Amino acid sequence: MAGQFKEHFDVKTFFTSLALVIVGLVSIYSATYDAGLSDIAFKQMIWAGGGLVIMLIIAYSPFKLIQFLAYPSYVATILLLVSVLLLGRTVSGSQSWFNLGPLRLQPSEFAKLTTALALATYLSRSDISLQQLKHLLVASGIVLLPVVLILLQPDTGTAIIYLAMFLPVLFWGGASHFVIVAAIAPPSVALAALFGTTPFLIAVLVFGVLLYLTKQNRVLAAMVFSVTVLVGVSSQFIYDGMKPYQQKRIQTFLDPSSADPRGAGYNVLQSKVAIGSGGVFGKGYLQGTQTQLNFIPEQWTDFIFCVPGEEFGFLGACAVLFLFTALLVRGVHVAAIVKNKFASFLAIAIVGVFAPHIFINVGMALGLLPVIGVPLPFLSYGGSALIANVMMVGLLMNLYANRKEY
Amino acid sequence: MAGLDEIQLYSKRRAIYIIVGIVMLLFVGRLIQLQVLYQEWYGKKSEENSFRTIPRDPVRGYMYDRTGRLVVDNRPAFTVTIMPFEFDKRNINYLATLLAYKQEFISERLGKGEQHSRFVPAKIARDVDFGVLSALEERRGSLPGVDYITESKRHYTTRANASHILGYTKEISELQMKSLGEEYVQGDVVGASGLEASYESVLRGVKGAEVSVVNVRGQVIGSLDQGKHDTPPIEGDDLLLTMDFELQALAESLFTDKRGALVALDTRTGGVLAMVSKPDYPLEAFSGVTPPEIWRALNSDEAKPLFNRATLTRYPPGSTYKMILAVAALERKIVSPSWQVTCTGAYRFGNKTFGDEHVHGTVNMVEAIQRSCNVYFYQLMMKTGIDVWAEYGAKFGFGKYTGVDIGEETSGLLPTTQWMDKRYGAKGWTLGFLPSLGIGQGELGVSPIQMACYATALAMQGTYYQPHAVAAIKRKGLMRMDTLRYETKHFDVSPGTWRVVREGMRRVVEELGGTAGLARVRGIQSAGKTGTAQNPHGKSHAWYIGFAPFDEPQIAIAVLVENVGYGGSYAAPIAGMCIEKYLFGRITRFDAPVLPPRPARTDSVTTLTPITALAPVDSLKFPGDGN
Repeated sequence: MAGQFKEHFDVKTFFTSLALVIVGLVSIYSATYDAGLSDIAFKQMIWAGGGLVIMLIIAYSPFKLIQFLAYPSYVATILLLVSVLLLGRTVSGSQSWFNLGPLRLQPSEFAKLTTALALATYLSRSDISLQQLKHLLVASGIVLLPVVLILLQPDTGTAIIYLAMFLPVLFWGGASHFVIVAAIAPPSVALAALFGTTPFLIAVLVFGVLLYLTKQNRVLAAMVFSVTVLVGVSSQFIYDGMKPYQQKRIQTFLDPSSADPRGAGYNVLQSKVAIGSGGVFGKGYLQGTQTQLNFIPEQWTDFIFCVPGEEFGFLGACAVLFLFTALLVRGVHVAAIVKNKFASFLAIAIVGVFAPHIFINVGMALGLLPVIGVPLPFLSYGGSALIANVMMVGLLMNLYANRKEY
Repeated sequence: MAGLDEIQLYSKRRAIYIIVGIVMLLFVGRLIQLQVLYQEWYGKKSEENSFRTIPRDPVRGYMYDRTGRLVVDNRPAFTVTIMPFEFDKRNINYLATLLAYKQEFISERLGKGEQHSRFVPAKIARDVDFGVLSALEERRGSLPGVDYITESKRHYTTRANASHILGYTKEISELQMKSLGEEYVQGDVVGASGLEASYESVLRGVKGAEVSVVNVRGQVIGSLDQGKHDTPPIEGDDLLLTMDFELQALAESLFTDKRGALVALDTRTGGVLAMVSKPDYPLEAFSGVTPPEIWRALNSDEAKPLFNRATLTRYPPGSTYKMILAVAALERKIVSPSWQVTCTGAYRFGNKTFGDEHVHGTVNMVEAIQRSCNVYFYQLMMKTGIDVWAEYGAKFGFGKYTGVDIGEETSGLLPTTQWMDKRYGAKGWTLGFLPSLGIGQGELGVSPIQMACYATALAMQGTYYQPHAVAAIKRKGLMRMDTLRYETKHFDVSPGTWRVVREGMRRVVEELGGTAGLARVRGIQSAGKTGTAQNPHGKSHAWYIGFAPFDEPQIAIAVLVENVGYGGSYAAPIAGMCIEKYLFGRITRFDAPVLPPRPARTDSVTTLTPITALAPVDSLKFPGDGN
């Protein structure tokens, strides 16, 4: 009986995500414990409860229904993204929210999921090959459409996630190495250019060699190379054209100590102090001074990783990282074992959504990456993101249950 | 799996695992760096963030006089503070207007505070008026970071100023901050002069600290671990003074219109009973904030009110010094007490004539002291010589520090052959310099405290004390009293010599023809010596030293009145009144002898009032006084 159950129920994915949701609730409770925001943890608990139900519904939905709903849901979220731009509500400088009575909905969170669905559907067609430029462009279009709409909000962090999610899908779908290198090169060189001339030259050199190694047609390679160099050179100009808060975030990343201690660099410094002061065993639950005394602004959203880091120390932080690793590995595993091509692409796309969230958010909290407003899946406060995340877990579970279907 | 090559998938899956693995290992590496390797540094950072150690100043120790009367204690004073990190510098102007301070002053104080720590309140204005404080309290909402704390300031309970001996407290200077050590920070109050300065370490107590938990806005959430880390301040210890403030108040009142100094010592201990230096100043002027105008006025006053004349002046002692020569000559058997000189009003040495106020006729030693015959001592000095004279001067403590516990003093100047050679060259001075020294003029320089010690040694026949104002320290924390020990020296002089010299001094006061009849105290015999020290800048300085009662001395006194004239006219009466006040608690000298004695009053204030009224001594000029 138990074996029968396990056959159709992805125990590992379920309990890993459940553990992450619980860690999230515990962390949010702590982060808001003394801030007079006790309702935040309560709200998130309601979202988590609802999310659990939705997750199980999706996990047990017919596989065909999911395939059938893929495109319509994509279209629906694109329409939502358009209307949020027209009717939405501005929260901290970004017009990304819908007010539905007591609920506030963030369509861009759900669009990640539906974009993954649409991308998987398109790439799973037998006549589609990523080796062909036309098909590659259509696939890129599916991703870029929401990216453009989200950049208009503007929400740079979320837009970056979409682009990052595309990479593993391209890789999985067998796109040539040239395409992947061509996709990575310009943003990497641009970032390196912000650090100074030497990093810029090194990056240009590395990508030049990589492009040469892909053995692509020389003209195309030269074109990509020139674009990369151009993007790198112009990044300073782009930087000048950026909004001040974006500039500040980049400055902070480049040199945290130079920035105003109360500005963006302050967050990173306080985050590092919180995590660093946690030591090996942590300060104990609800005992973290950085957390309890609110030294990290809005900690329950983007800097939630500090809570386990400070209160449960190195062991706690590693446990959280282990859960995330388990989830990602499980996703890749599911992508590899399913018989259905759509299922495989969907699983890898879901991994492609989770992974950049985790990498960017934790990297930011540890002071390894610039401050980009990206939530940590399952842990950060936010109903829309949590629902979208558990829906993706539900999808993974569904794919696992139906892994033998063609 | 349809459409996707199984083998390729295997390697792709591995590639993704490797990427995920690398990133996660990078994170774990970073966690090890932050949480294991640099845990200490970040831990300290987080403590600095969230704990605030606010020093709590102890209550400064009190001072009591010899009768147990509280002389110096503390009163609350409000100090306006600014928490630098909360304060909006645009508010400086507004705050300056409210406090009636200069903007630059506030900026400077704030700047110094900020340098120390942005999270410790900087003391901006001390001893703020209650009205200003209320105004500030009303506008607190618009002045974030501005607060006030209750501190204490010195409060003086008696009518006496005792400015120079008690000393004042003052906000610490940067120089003192360096020299006094780490416990002191800007805004601390330290003893700046007198006993406040020399007993700073006793009076100050030990600072406490409160460790509070603050949130990101610097608001105090509460104390850390229910105050487990707090240390209460330890109150400063109290000083029990040897002083008598009844006497001090009287002595000060007797100098109301004069400049000069007075030191009265307890002849049994060397304790200071009273110490006056006039002009003085009310110590209250320094207890709170001292406006710069007052500082400037006190510093630039040509009468130098801040200068302690009792310990820092160096005046020639005049005739009060004659006993030294008498003791030296008798001890070395240079003359016998019956050696006589005929005074014709002047003494010729070489081509110089040394004068005398009167023609004293033929006098022996006792008479020479009694009537202060200069001619006698000119000749005695020529016989004795400078070195024997200086040797005995040194025995009585001249040319040396007395070691008094109120800080600054001068050693004075006691010339010897060696010194004269150095000063004038071995051939640059002659015996012609000696007669002046013999009557306490010339290079000789003494301070009133030295003179009081000298009077004590005469009273106690060779016992020389280290003068002091503090008898004991009340260690409140230890519940015990520490009696302080001071040096007592004794030098041997034959009883016969003492008998002669002291008899001369007794006659100065008690016998007809003595120069200090005005020092007489009804009911007891006392002894003394007047001096009139010539000085190039105006009238002579009036000196008097004495002790009483003659047979069993209890008080020795030295009085100096600057630029008034005869010691017998100006200094002696002050000494007489002080002696009477100290011994009897009353003054009857102005009562007509036929009247029955007034009932003794217990209320010191009512007793003192008429004395103040009588203080000007101009009317008491005594024409027969001579040196």
